[in-house]
Amino acid sequence: MAFDSARNLSAVVIGAGLNGLTAAATLAGRGARVTVVEKGEGPGGLMTGAGTGELGQFVWNLHPDALSEFGVSPADLGLGPALPTVALSPDGRHVVIEGGAARFADGAAHPDAAAYRALRWRVARFAAVLAPLVRMAPPRLGVGLMNRAGLPELLGLARLGLDIRRLARDDRREFLRVILSNAADLVLDAMPDGPLAASLAFDAVLGSRTGPRAPGTVLTLIYRHLQGGERYRPEGGMAVLAGRLARAAEARGAAIRYGAEAAGLVVEGDRVRGLRLASGEVIGAGLVLSSLGALPTLRLAGATHFDAEACRRIRQVRAEGTAGRLDLCLSAMPRLEGLPATLHRARLLLAPSVAALEAAFDPVKYGAVPGAPAAEILIEPEGAGARLSAIVQHLPRAPDGGWTTEAREGVIGSVVAALAVHAPGLPDLVREARLTTPAEIEAATGAPGGHWHHAEFAADQLLTLRPVNGMARYATGLPGLWLCGAAAHPGGDVTGLPGRNAALAALGAGVRA
Amino acid sequence: MGRAAKFDAIVAGGGHNGLTAACYLARAGLRTLVVEKNDWLGGAAVSRELHEGWTYSNCSYVCSLLRPEVVRDLDLPRHGLQVIPYTGGTTFTRDGDYFAYHSDRHALEREIARLSPRDVEGYERFALAVMRQCRFIRPLLLRTPPDPVAPGPRDVAELVYLLRRFHDLGPRETGEAMRFWTASVGDYLDGFIEHPLIKAHLAGSGIIGTGLGVYSPGTAYVLLHHYMGEVDGAIGAWGFARGGMGAVSGALASAFRAAGGEIVTGAGVERILVENGRAVGVALDNGDEYRAPIVASGMDVKRTYLGHVEPQHLPTDFLAAVRRFKIRGSSGKINIALDAMPRFLAAPEGASFLSGDLHVSESLAELERAYDDWKAGRWSALPYLDMLIPSRIDPTMAPPGKHMMTLFVQYAPYDLARDGTRDPAHWDEAARRGFADAVFDRIEAVSPGFRDLILHAEVRTPVDLEREVGLTEGNIFQGELTFDQLLFNRPVPGYADYRSPVKGLYLVGSSAHPGGGVMAAPGANAAREILRDAGRRCRAERAFRAA
Ligand SMILES: Cc1cc2nc3c(=O)[nH]c(=O)nc-3n(C[C@H](O)[C@H](O)[C@H](O)COP(=O)(O)OP(=O)(O)OC[C@H]3O[C@@H](n4cnc5c(N)ncnc54)[C@H](O)[C@@H]3O)c2cc1C
Ligand SMILES: Cc1cc2nc3c(=O)[nH]c(=O)nc-3n(C[C@H](O)[C@H](O)[C@H](O)COP(=O)(O)OP(=O)(O)OC[C@H]3O[C@@H](n4cnc5c(N)ncnc54)[C@H](O)[C@@H]3O)c2cc1C
Repeated sequence: MAFDSARNLSAVVIGAGLNGLTAAATLAGRGARVTVVEKGEGPGGLMTGAGTGELGQFVWNLHPDALSEFGVSPADLGLGPALPTVALSPDGRHVVIEGGAARFADGAAHPDAAAYRALRWRVARFAAVLAPLVRMAPPRLGVGLMNRAGLPELLGLARLGLDIRRLARDDRREFLRVILSNAADLVLDAMPDGPLAASLAFDAVLGSRTGPRAPGTVLTLIYRHLQGGERYRPEGGMAVLAGRLARAAEARGAAIRYGAEAAGLVVEGDRVRGLRLASGEVIGAGLVLSSLGALPTLRLAGATHFDAEACRRIRQVRAEGTAGRLDLCLSAMPRLEGLPATLHRARLLLAPSVAALEAAFDPVKYGAVPGAPAAEILIEPEGAGARLSAIVQHLPRAPDGGWTTEAREGVIGSVVAALAVHAPGLPDLVREARLTTPAEIEAATGAPGGHWHHAEFAADQLLTLRPVNGMARYATGLPGLWLCGAAAHPGGDVTGLPGRNAALAALGAGVRA
Repeated sequence: MGRAAKFDAIVAGGGHNGLTAACYLARAGLRTLVVEKNDWLGGAAVSRELHEGWTYSNCSYVCSLLRPEVVRDLDLPRHGLQVIPYTGGTTFTRDGDYFAYHSDRHALEREIARLSPRDVEGYERFALAVMRQCRFIRPLLLRTPPDPVAPGPRDVAELVYLLRRFHDLGPRETGEAMRFWTASVGDYLDGFIEHPLIKAHLAGSGIIGTGLGVYSPGTAYVLLHHYMGEVDGAIGAWGFARGGMGAVSGALASAFRAAGGEIVTGAGVERILVENGRAVGVALDNGDEYRAPIVASGMDVKRTYLGHVEPQHLPTDFLAAVRRFKIRGSSGKINIALDAMPRFLAAPEGASFLSGDLHVSESLAELERAYDDWKAGRWSALPYLDMLIPSRIDPTMAPPGKHMMTLFVQYAPYDLARDGTRDPAHWDEAARRGFADAVFDRIEAVSPGFRDLILHAEVRTPVDLEREVGLTEGNIFQGELTFDQLLFNRPVPGYADYRSPVKGLYLVGSSAHPGGGVMAAPGANAAREILRDAGRRCRAERAFRAA
């Protein structure tokens, strides 16, 4: 078996985010000697602000293939049951989405429930088509399809073709129509605008620098449904989940070093020989997998090792984060009117309409803070009080005039005010408020631009083009150096896929080399 | 009861595509009738005298996309068509600067270097990249898109053809093609050029006629849609049809009549007659009826199937797909009779670039804001303007010493917002004046005194375009040019081959592949399919095969 030779390989993985951990587990599980170097004090990367607490909130896209590399099953991870989503409505008629079905919070039937269900199913069927694609390096198009080296590619494509053919004919037509289309049209062709419609559009823009009217957002929506689209809240939060996975990677034999910042690559004879830490220490390794973005990785290696065209492309990768996080310390659980107590701990969505979502994005384009940003909210009891956290979608990375106290308080104020419409007592419960901006996320984790996906999740930066044309199959062009983070195919979210795919690609090439 | 005459084929709508299809059908020996609701022919390709002594190309105004194969096939120059290329163009800024585009390479390099020396090389790469995409797409314009979902033998052959073209491109260029097709024009330009004004100048072509902004993915393709034409073999060049764009339709009509075709104007098709699932003719709004086993509609897909075919003849999912078709009005047009040549502050006296396309713009961000205005249901406060003064080159457009200006405005909404509601009826006189004022203010800033030169102005909102030309919502391309409505998805999936669920009923206008513009490609392609069904080989087909 080809992977046997992994036994004499030594590898370094840069970053102990989920993808670095997955890459490490994948390599170590096949016998390689693996060291993970992480500049932060704990695992988790963007899940945890590099070990400083919690940034992400939910899990929906964690891939079973990645989990099996850790040797854990979903049951080991304490993910609990799927959370319902409550799409808050300005008129107080909140919409509950549970098990793919929508109803009003008071139990009444929702007029668009059937349309919603049909669309969810359709998106799920499309996700099934794309499912094989995310588990492999993106197919190389236009290359030697007709010769032997191209055979695996051809098979991959044929497989995709078969999966498409498995869809009913109408579905196939619809798939090819909407795949590059925009979420606003897809959703609003099916139902009138409102919180329910916005719940889908929200998934289509979450973490991206885009509004729902932008072509390509349907692809993001489908991506979000690769594992069914249900949200899970790891028990104890993201930090606990990251800790569990880090320990699982260690159990597979990977060594993780925290507080170890990669400062440069050791390159000899046009091949990577190891990694230099900020401390000056050098770790020798024939394989280096970087879970950092494309540009930070290029900088570690030194631009001289890449041709001018590759450098130019990497410098042009778009990565401007637009998601931030708000944490409120509350003296008691707030009461949301029109919502039964059992649903207070659901995933709450603050996105009244697709149009409002689009309007919230507009100011961000010009470096301004939106007056009514959309947000995904979680309220959990904490001690005698409660903690409210929110992923605030559509913040500028660097607003004109900077992230002043005023700008921050503006964001905090608008989220609190929007919630106070339903929870009049909320403002009085707030003991402490903290906003983490994209700029701070970048500072804490090194994620380019503080971006959710390390590189904008848009069709011109996906698949064969992710992160750039010519570097999509995890290999960077510098022998021994591989990309294994969210900037690589298939992209971000808590999936583990880029890490797993990259490790397998690196092992495959290691054998051939 | 009116009269009922029999034909082999009836073309509903005398736009340039309807006329093109009609020409091919007549030349293949079919007894063909064209029915046009207006008193004149041409649809959005017309020349009209709306102010005495002046000729307005009052919809489309410049020519480049018109397929040379069709021009040759139908011998249009012999029927009076002459396209005069213009060179150059300029974007003025409010603070008195400008960027002048020259088709002469060296002049262009000097101009780019004047603003931003580093962009000389970037522009060269940009031009090369776009030219490569042009070369890739041009051969597809006169081919019927294959059906990838339920392919018949011809579809399979066509799919193989496409695959081979990708294969010939190689992996790197295939990647670049994919990037181009999915990128926004703004992001794409950001990859080559630094100077905001140069980018603003180039980006305009990416948004003309579309309900998208410069940073909306897919607009790089729209740019291509404006670059893939030619004048006299110069790819990407644009020109004036001598005598206005009506000259294109006029030449087509003349070629059609020469082939024995008949034309009825001033009477609209009210109903396309269907019996037993077959098209059998048309009933006009004046009561006349004409019968033919072939009916070809040059109207857009919504007007054709939702307005003029009784719904019981069409499957519900087909109707649903047609309803879903996006055909958003986003452009306005102002045609102006000028007392004299306007002076532009920044332009040297007699600058040659004044004979080209003129714009007032600053940056991509400003263009994006113009789009945001449109999304909110307002006309752009600072719109993108595409102004030309054809009378500088073509003296037939205005009396001696006077000038004609054609002024294309992006963006203007169809359903204007007012007091929280959106309704086309909001386009009253005051709104139209407000819209025109926003445009004139912009021009006045770079050409003081411009307003005083206006002798007459025809202001056309999307609502006017809909009412007069029949373009639903005033969309100039008979449907958005986004990927979900291009190639095999245009006009609706499963019907990209110009056919419809009704036997004998075809779509020949810009709602069909390859889309809008004065291109004549949809009409020519549709005619080929119609003749194939009719079991006749047309000359066009031989011509296409040779191509
Ligand atoms: C605010 C926010 C909320 C999110 N919420 C969710 C969510 O709820 N659910 C979800 O599925 N996804 C969420 N995401 C996205 C998801 O967290 C990421 O896409 C994913 O975790 C990326 O993982 P990664 O391993 O590729 O990169 P990262 O997590 O960024 O890991 C990279 C690691 O490298 C380390 N590093 C950087 N530079 C160096 C260096 N020089 N030397 C050593 N180490 C270095 C960093 O500290 C970091 O730990 C969120 C993203 C953001 C920004
Ligand atoms: C303002 C504007 C500016 C443009 N500028 C340019 C440009 O500079 N260059 C360029 O290449 N393209 C330009 N275009 C686009 C281009 O003009 C159009 O895409 C193209 O002319 C459409 O041609 P067509 O034959 O497909 O359809 P149309 O021109 O729309 O023809 C449809 C015809 O059907 C007729 N009709 C409608 N209903 C009925 C009925 N019930 N019965 C009978 N007849 C009916 C209409 O009157 C019309 O004549 C512009 C368009 C507009 C509106």
